[in-house]
Amino acid sequence: MRRKISVTAALTLAAVMVTATGLPAAAEAADTSVNLAFQYGLAYAPLTIAKEQKLIEQAYEEATGKTVEVTWTQMSAGADINTGIASGSVQVGFMGVGPAITGCMSGVGYKIFMNLSGQEHGLMSNREELATLEDLVNSDEQVALVNIGSIQHIILAKALEHAGFDAHALDANLIAMKHPDGMTALESGNVACHLTTNPYIYKEREDMEASGLHEIEGISDVWSADNSFIVGVCSAELCEEDPALYEALCQAFAEAIAYINEHGEEAAKITCEFDGTTPEEELQYLEAGTYATETSGVFELATFMAEHDFLDTAPESFADLAYENVEGN
Amino acid sequence: MKKEKLQSCFVQLVFVAAVASVWEATARAHIFGARSELIFPTLEAIGSAFVKNFASGYAGVSFWIYILNSMKLLLLGLVLGIAGAVLFSGLSVASRVFYYIYNLVVSVFDLIPGVALLPVIIILFGIRPSVIVFLVVHAVIWPMSRNILDGFAAIPRIYVEAGKNIGLNQLELLTGVYIPAATSYLVSGLKVSWARAWRGLISAEMIFGIASCPGIGLYINQMRTNMKNAEMYATLIVIVLIGVLVQYGILEPIETHTVKKWGMTK
Repeated sequence: MRRKISVTAALTLAAVMVTATGLPAAAEAADTSVNLAFQYGLAYAPLTIAKEQKLIEQAYEEATGKTVEVTWTQMSAGADINTGIASGSVQVGFMGVGPAITGCMSGVGYKIFMNLSGQEHGLMSNREELATLEDLVNSDEQVALVNIGSIQHIILAKALEHAGFDAHALDANLIAMKHPDGMTALESGNVACHLTTNPYIYKEREDMEASGLHEIEGISDVWSADNSFIVGVCSAELCEEDPALYEALCQAFAEAIAYINEHGEEAAKITCEFDGTTPEEELQYLEAGTYATETSGVFELATFMAEHDFLDTAPESFADLAYENVEGN
Repeated sequence: MKKEKLQSCFVQLVFVAAVASVWEATARAHIFGARSELIFPTLEAIGSAFVKNFASGYAGVSFWIYILNSMKLLLLGLVLGIAGAVLFSGLSVASRVFYYIYNLVVSVFDLIPGVALLPVIIILFGIRPSVIVFLVVHAVIWPMSRNILDGFAAIPRIYVEAGKNIGLNQLELLTGVYIPAATSYLVSGLKVSWARAWRGLISAEMIFGIASCPGIGLYINQMRTNMKNAEMYATLIVIVLIGVLVQYGILEPIETHTVKKWGMTK
């Protein structure tokens, strides 16, 4: 009898534990809601504009006469957004082009529906003896970047190959840490190099003379601010089942991008609050980035990733990575 | 005694089997929609990912290297943390002033998540594996100290008075009275510390990945980045297995041969 009770108790506890680990996301309210996930930083500025000016809500209402409820979630990594979209709790995500390509090719169930921005990348160093990539390859000094396998890592691999070295020549020298931690480490002399992007790269360049930093050339030659950096992805379900909402999303973000390009000062006033800068600084940073809906270099990057073990399956064409409406390559 | 042991084993086995079958049923029911297999893989997929982890590793680095690196940093942190806790708690017995200060320090630092201290640690220690050791020490030293301090406080005054009466000095009091009398607290402190150290290590490695000294946390991160969820779950199983191995292979025997043998606990 006692054994029976303990077995039942064990079974019940087991059932509770497994169901508690992950219930399917609550059913969405009719056809009028969309969950968007994005990350932190200036590269996501058009999203702040779209959110503050309610551009998605307006575009959808104009086209269909119906209302849409938009939920914005800030996540800390592209991998988390991938899981969110795969589970169906998120329909639209914005992330680095690296994880987006990985997601497209590993069957998360989305494709790129627009480009969002391109940003300058750079490699800064505090060691005088490290003047070129060659010096770095021949040393065992460490390079901080945001994650192993991140877009920054892939750009470094591309730059190495461009300079005639093995793409993975610096893999053992990498340290994965968030952009601000990397900047702290570089400026306090605890790491020799930091490969980073807007706004950190500009902050480090501004501090160049005061803190004795210099830039190692070769990064922006292979991936400039004109190339895709942050892209938007949209689940196949939303694209197929709700074309009106899909259209509204495309239109809203295109408007947001146009607003930043045409009304920089007003845009900076809106976004500076979220980035913790002054409107003047913000405008300077916004102008340094490229905000455009056309992708640039995505297919080429995916091919490079597949050739150098960053990606298991190579895409056959741009259509494997992006929906039909996307302009660019 | 033997019968009870068998019974506990039996109940635990049933429980594990039940969790596994509910997991498998959930995975096979595809309740997470079209991409269910990707985010909630079946036991079979996790099992073959488990084998694959050990067989091929990632990016040319064997999985054993990841495990060895983690264990190395963990052990070092654990030893330093426990030694520090014993030393400082011992000093608290010797000096009342030190006790007041240390009690406050333990209460404050036990509340601070190690990873929140990262920027400070980077400036102080630089970027090297010792940062992870430091985070493990941080995870261990405060709960261990709290247990020891509480254990010392729970010792009946009469033991301490008896020790003083037969002329023991402070050090003899510590090793002859305080530590033996508080052993059950020390052992439960060890258990808590081990779990905290293990968790602290994995989260530190997930935030702070050093490619020249790759650990299990970095491996999990790489699997996440590459959308290899089965491999990620398989790595979690490795973490649990190592944890269980230490729990039953090292900590339980210590308990059996000390506090249980001496009749201090059941």
